[in-house]
Amino acid sequence: MATPDLLDPKSAAHNCKPRLSFSIQPVVLYTPEDECETRTTVMRWKTVSAIFFMVVLYLIIGATVFRALEQPYESSQKLAILAEKLDFLAMHACVNSSELEDLVKQVVSAVRAGVNPTGNAFNQTSLWDISSSFFFAGTVITTIGFGNISPHTEGGRIFCIIYALLGIPLFGFLLAGVGDQLGTIFGKGIAKVEKMIVWKVSQTKIRVISTLIFILFGCLIFVALPVIIFKHIEGWSTLESIYFVVITLTTIGFGDFVAGEKAGGSDNPEFLNYYKPVVWFWILVGLAYFAAVLSMIGDWFRVISKKTKEEVGEFRAHAAEWTANVSAEFKETRRRLSVDIHDKFQRAASIKRRLSSELGINQEMTPGKRSLSTTLCEDREAYPNLTLSLSPATGSLARNGSLYLNGLSPDYADRRECTFIESLN
Amino acid sequence: MHFVGRSWLLLTGFILFYVIYLLFGALVFSSIERPMEDRMRTELEVLKQEFLNLSCVSDAALERFLLKVLAANKYGVSVLRNASTTSNWDLASSMFFANTLVTTVGYGHTTPLSDTGKAFSILYALIGVPFTMLVLTACVQRIMFPLVLAPVGLLQRSGLEPRPATIVHFLLLLILVVMCFFVAPAAVFSAVELSWSFLDGIYFCFISLCTIGLGDFVPGTQPNQQYRSLYQVAVMGECSC
Repeated sequence: MATPDLLDPKSAAHNCKPRLSFSIQPVVLYTPEDECETRTTVMRWKTVSAIFFMVVLYLIIGATVFRALEQPYESSQKLAILAEKLDFLAMHACVNSSELEDLVKQVVSAVRAGVNPTGNAFNQTSLWDISSSFFFAGTVITTIGFGNISPHTEGGRIFCIIYALLGIPLFGFLLAGVGDQLGTIFGKGIAKVEKMIVWKVSQTKIRVISTLIFILFGCLIFVALPVIIFKHIEGWSTLESIYFVVITLTTIGFGDFVAGEKAGGSDNPEFLNYYKPVVWFWILVGLAYFAAVLSMIGDWFRVISKKTKEEVGEFRAHAAEWTANVSAEFKETRRRLSVDIHDKFQRAASIKRRLSSELGINQEMTPGKRSLSTTLCEDREAYPNLTLSLSPATGSLARNGSLYLNGLSPDYADRRECTFIESLN
Repeated sequence: MHFVGRSWLLLTGFILFYVIYLLFGALVFSSIERPMEDRMRTELEVLKQEFLNLSCVSDAALERFLLKVLAANKYGVSVLRNASTTSNWDLASSMFFANTLVTTVGYGHTTPLSDTGKAFSILYALIGVPFTMLVLTACVQRIMFPLVLAPVGLLQRSGLEPRPATIVHFLLLLILVVMCFFVAPAAVFSAVELSWSFLDGIYFCFISLCTIGLGDFVPGTQPNQQYRSLYQVAVMGECSC
């Protein structure tokens, strides 16, 4: 789907309808109804396979690093818990090992279902009360999918599938709409800034700086602030809070950290009622913000490439024009020069003829001078015809002129005659 | 101004509709799941009481033990005797994890435990997620032609009008997608995974392909699974589609 130029200030001011840009979720089921617009060039197979191999390489690198980092930690955890089990069995001699295994198995599957077996059954809030279900529905639609709560009945699972099928595109549209609004606001802001700036700064520089400021500002609101809040309320460390924010806003959503999870059984139910919806709202706006940033950067790159192409095209056109002008000028000069020289030689030749004929007839020089002037006049009358016939078809004439020149120079050009003609002129 | 007002109105309408949709989902989930949860809770309570009655274990000691077991289990470390001796972080499983990270599925059955692991996964995700998106969109663009335009052209040449041709093609494609990406893998899963039913297989495929990735079903995590690495690689390939 083609998005109009977002960062162009004029179009941003006129840009009033919410456009649909690409949703950030990868499209799995696509509609063939949208004619593939060829504004973006389709990559060749070679490029696609090259990128694919790069992705595989990236995955392999990640896998090796994760393994190196996590495996030792995991083995130490395993040893610790096994030691605990043995301790427990040793301390309580009446407990059978197999009985314990059974209990643990049941407990683990119960925890998987979301039921917490520790503590009393009475002071626990359900995991499926309205606010938690709302939160769960939100995680399904945004495709984050924490997994700390998940449906266990068959009916629940079937409903989950249908619900997600309808809800994910709905959320995609919402995200696109909010992202576009944010982008439009930002585009208008840039337009205002561009008007305000008095000194000459290139448009690209303004856009780069303002995009960076926008990203920074957004990071402050949507990342730094929630990190501080989560640290304070949930009691996580800084790294864990940042980890949770990033994992949630990229919609990965592991579920090892979930905001509002510990608050089940907290002693302040009033604040809990506001906490979860606020977290959900933050997720929505944060996702929209990231979508807006991504679409803006995408638009910007498209604009840059288009502008660069235009500029390069303009430059090329200018250069071609200049070259054409220069060569035309050059040809003109050559033509004029060759015509000029041709004229001079013609005159020299005719003068020579007349002189020789007059010298042959008359013995006096002074009538020769008079006749020279008359012949010159005559010849000058003859010249316009000559020049007129020379004017069209400069190219061929230039060639002819040069030919003439070439033809004239060795045979007729004589230095003395040239200087004579020059003195006459 | 009229247009600007209309776009804002549209947006708020959208948000309102979205909130209503969420509320509706919450109500339905709540009414379906809550009874089962209550039942499970009472069962567990009974189990615990039975255990405590039979043995000499005090309530407090059991609580402590259970907390530790659950904390370990959260990160995929199982205390059961017949738990698989293969690690959760061997090369194939790590690759599976990296794949869930960049495709934003994020099951959560294994999560990084160490601080360095968490920091690295932040960086890895920040780079990998946009990259994967780009690759996927490029692939989709590339596949569009042989998958969409060419068959539609073929249908048109065989005499159909453009609109019915598109509809026919769309239906065929939908059936093909459903067969390849849902039914076939679900059949495989119900054969390989012992505790999964066919519906569970379809549910898993759907949740993974939409990149929701709840993590209640993850293939290849049963103890003593044969050919585990090969299996996980195959699942990965399917997921990245």
